[in-house]
Amino acid sequence: MWHYRSIVREAWHRTMAVANFLCGLHVTNTYLCTAALAYGPSMLPTFNLTGDLFLAERLSTRFDKVRPGDVVLVRSPENPRKLIVKRLLGMEGDSVTYAVDPKNSSRCNTVVVPKGHVWIEGDNIYASRDSRQFGPVPYGLLEGKAFCKILEAEAHVMTSGTFVLYGHLKNLVPWDKRNEESRSIRLFVAAFRDLILLS
Amino acid sequence: MWHYRSIVREAWHRTMAVANFLCGLHVTNTYLCTAALAYGPSMLPTFNLTGDLFLAERLSTRFDKVRPGDVVLVRSPENPRKLIVKRLLGMEGDSVTYAVDPKNSSRCNTVVVPKGHVWIEGDNIYASRDSRQFGPVPYGLLEGKAFCKIWPPKEFGSLGQAE
Repeated sequence: MWHYRSIVREAWHRTMAVANFLCGLHVTNTYLCTAALAYGPSMLPTFNLTGDLFLAERLSTRFDKVRPGDVVLVRSPENPRKLIVKRLLGMEGDSVTYAVDPKNSSRCNTVVVPKGHVWIEGDNIYASRDSRQFGPVPYGLLEGKAFCKILEAEAHVMTSGTFVLYGHLKNLVPWDKRNEESRSIRLFVAAFRDLILLS
Repeated sequence: MWHYRSIVREAWHRTMAVANFLCGLHVTNTYLCTAALAYGPSMLPTFNLTGDLFLAERLSTRFDKVRPGDVVLVRSPENPRKLIVKRLLGMEGDSVTYAVDPKNSSRCNTVVVPKGHVWIEGDNIYASRDSRQFGPVPYGLLEGKAFCKIWPPKEFGSLGQAE
């Protein structure tokens, strides 16, 4: 007999362990902290054009701790399947003055943010679609508050990674042997960078 | 020796079993089906004044299966801590005609629902605070579609479509 029952039991326990881990991960992602990729020109210079990975925590929005000046993750009022990153500029009751169309005119409007809503704007007002176009956003659409960038501008992540690695290795190498070791590491980094530029 | 380790292990297993059950319940509540109590006059005669318990499923809103005529559970755009129950009357792009103030006048307005928004109204338009007051609601605020009343028992049954 192939100990069928014990195999099934072990398979079940391992599956449950994996399922528990994934559940824990999902709960953390939904209630504590999530990661998101911000790309596009609307939040320059805070976020790069090509993409910055950042962490957004979910507790501030749940417990009303967001304040004007925070960068928030919002479900788009124009497309419910899309999340957008903007800066919160006004809470309910605040009087917000904004440039209507900064590329073509210097006209400004002032609006009072209604109850239960917030006013969001991109840092790069010349290329941002935000509350100036679609109006104040209901607070219920806020998904999280960004607090930390973890990866900057994918195009440079490899070279900055290798430079960081080089820096760490340099610290490990004894001072008298520094020249030979650092030369080889520099060649490696240069070759890697050429590889990235070519691809 | 009081078999300390086996007591701890059994306590751990039982705690984990309870925790797993609660997690499963929470996941079902968040992604499949939730229960809610509807009270107030804004959805008469569909829901009573004093409170009807109903089930709302979460799949229709997630997969864009809600249609005008459905009763939906919505996070209030005026108070993000409150959930409201209203009937969906218009999807994005629809042209909605509504009575602005039916108690005092018979004036009607027509509005086109913008992209990404829906128009919700209570069945009892004389005593309902809905899209006629706070405008179209972003689709992202929809939380579920009500499909079945479960309490009081004589009201048990699925919710019908609007007349």
